[in-house]
Amino acid sequence: MKLSCLQENLSKGLSIVGRAVATRTTLPITQNVLIATDQSRLKLSATNLELAISCWIGARVEEEGAITIPARLLTEFISSLPNDHIDMALTQHILQLKCARFEARINGLDAEDFPPIPQVGDGIAAKIEVEALRQGISQVTFVAATEESRPVLTGVQVEFDGDKLTLAAADGFRLAVHSTALLSPVNEKSAIIIPARALNELNRFLTDQEEPVEITLNEQKSQVLFRLKNIEMVSQLIQGAFPSYSQLIPQSYVTRAVVDVAEFLRATRMASIFARDGSGIVRLAITPGAELTPGKMNISARAEEIGDNVGEIDALIDGEPAKIAFNAKYLSDVLAVLRQTQVALETTTPSSPGVIRPVGVDNYVHVIMPMFVQW
Amino acid sequence: MTRCIFHIDLDAFFVSVEQALVPELLSKPVIVGGRPDRRGVVASASYEARAFGVRAGMPLAKAYRLCPRAIFLQGSFPRYRNASARFMRILADFSPCLEPMGLDEAYLDVTGCELYGSARQLALNIKERVKRELNLVVSVGIAGCKVVAKIASDSGKPGGLVEVAPGQEKGFLAPLPVARLPGVGRKTEQALRVMGITGIGQLAALPPGLVKSRFGAAGMMIHHYANGVDNRRVEPPGEAKSISRETTFAQDTLDRRLLQATLRYLCERVGAELRQHSKQARSITLKLRYADFETITRRLSSKEATNADEVIFAIVARLLDQALARKQKLVRLLGVEALNLVGDGKQLYLLDSMSQRMEHLDKAVDRIRKKYGFTSIQTGRTLALKDIFASDKGDYMLETPSLSR
Repeated sequence: MKLSCLQENLSKGLSIVGRAVATRTTLPITQNVLIATDQSRLKLSATNLELAISCWIGARVEEEGAITIPARLLTEFISSLPNDHIDMALTQHILQLKCARFEARINGLDAEDFPPIPQVGDGIAAKIEVEALRQGISQVTFVAATEESRPVLTGVQVEFDGDKLTLAAADGFRLAVHSTALLSPVNEKSAIIIPARALNELNRFLTDQEEPVEITLNEQKSQVLFRLKNIEMVSQLIQGAFPSYSQLIPQSYVTRAVVDVAEFLRATRMASIFARDGSGIVRLAITPGAELTPGKMNISARAEEIGDNVGEIDALIDGEPAKIAFNAKYLSDVLAVLRQTQVALETTTPSSPGVIRPVGVDNYVHVIMPMFVQW
Repeated sequence: MTRCIFHIDLDAFFVSVEQALVPELLSKPVIVGGRPDRRGVVASASYEARAFGVRAGMPLAKAYRLCPRAIFLQGSFPRYRNASARFMRILADFSPCLEPMGLDEAYLDVTGCELYGSARQLALNIKERVKRELNLVVSVGIAGCKVVAKIASDSGKPGGLVEVAPGQEKGFLAPLPVARLPGVGRKTEQALRVMGITGIGQLAALPPGLVKSRFGAAGMMIHHYANGVDNRRVEPPGEAKSISRETTFAQDTLDRRLLQATLRYLCERVGAELRQHSKQARSITLKLRYADFETITRRLSSKEATNADEVIFAIVARLLDQALARKQKLVRLLGVEALNLVGDGKQLYLLDSMSQRMEHLDKAVDRIRKKYGFTSIQTGRTLALKDIFASDKGDYMLETPSLSR
């Protein structure tokens, strides 16, 4: 193998595939990155056996070849080189790198021993706009559970139905559902569970993408492939039954308060400072307006023996006065990812789920279970 | 403003309560803690027993060797709790600014109560009322700050009344040995002795910089104390900061089944009390004392607060396994403590989950036990205790009844 490429491109490529390099593993080669010539480009791949990421960068290839190199060492070395041409040459298992007046030799392991990156392509395939996918991932993935007691909840259910794509995640206390349009309808209705971690990684790559993203499943629905420009990501899917969530979304309300998202978020974050010592409880008191006075929402918290705070924001209220308490984190998590300026909070009783819907769109709903408190 | 602070301490509390109940015990060496052929430590010793060298905290067997004639009593925690509550109520009649320290002592700030007589007169009134209503003897220390009041009451024991006038603090403390200062333990005492310091007066005279460099921030506190300076206020108690249960085994053991059963029992006790106070704990501590008295504590903290028996047990059981994996020695004592308590406000569940079911289960068990006693419903684990511990009114009797709530 003999080639040259730009330091900037190689460094970027390594940081992309680096997200899939195994950290703690019983299979040491998965701590390496696979470097292989692919026609006139250089292909970088890494896998932790759950997630595999490949990335192509431009290169001038003089001689074909492949090798695996310890990812961390290579990444750190390359990123500290100046932005210049890098010449690579492979002799036996030693990769020689030269850039400006710097040089390194790194012992590699045989590319043949690297776990194969799965080929995914025989199941349904769909295309989606980058922006739509980004928004869906950002508004849903953070809800997924982090603890492993119910594995399906550590993933995001992705449902293909005609030209509609629905993302849903739940962690036992909250639920987020986002739906968006596919560029062309799929011919088969299908639902899979993608690990939240894989979607978070994907979301990073989407920031500098413009072309639509291709999503492909394998026939057994055990793997999903996301194809971006110069990047491919394959993730194993979580097997199991995702809770049927539609019945968890209340269809009616007693009180509906429409407030400004930024104001609500600011008041919630302020309250969370005082809520830190308690179990993160923020209390909302919703008071409808009279003829000439607008409605309002009070957002308060108290820290035992330390102090308390209260913030007041204007609210357009439909229905009865209401009191409800939430975990501050759950509230600020969702408010922080909304793109609209106004949001509606719908409540029924202090111990039944609160529903958050951005005003002006109907493709997102977020349900949070309240906290039971003494008022 | 100069304050007037009392430190009031019941003399040989547990023993005195027993003596008040059974007058034949008066003027005899009496030890509360348990039978001398069993495990456990001296919880309280009468002054007659102390004359033989018996001290609280000493293993019962050693107390027996020092004073074989002593009358050893099992004791009863509810009895002491009851007496303590009555004691505190009497104190509260003199000033609302009351800070109980454990069952048998308290600080009382009587600043501004001159209308009712001099400090000395107030102290005499307290002593008189406690004697008349509870038939117990107290020692009182009077000073301008907590630390001096405490040392004053100690130096008047038993039955004393020592007043340290404002300005006299240093002179009062100076001749006393450093070990009398709160915060000076065996190690600090030794370190001070190496420096040639044995009296509080010598310690007080050391330059602050030297004390700080040798003993750090804690050293500064001791140095202030030695100079009779203590700015701590008398603070009425807030809510409980932690809830704990512990027990000493009848025989040192490594029997996994017994260890786990006991641990489970302690967890259920801690869990029940947490739930009773609508509290949840963010940290759980395992306390483990080996047969050679080496004592370790291992703590696990999490963002998710809990009061579920199962969760608490899972945590301490793992901590116990880890501790024993590191050091496989016979175990003398196990304890479980829940701390970093958070108050009411329970996160409700959206999805039916294991933790929700556990919560319902704990609640149901609590109700049954409240009505029919602890042993009426048990997990398989604690059932294993029935062959080991006697049960009394549906409750297991652990080794130190005087301390078993």
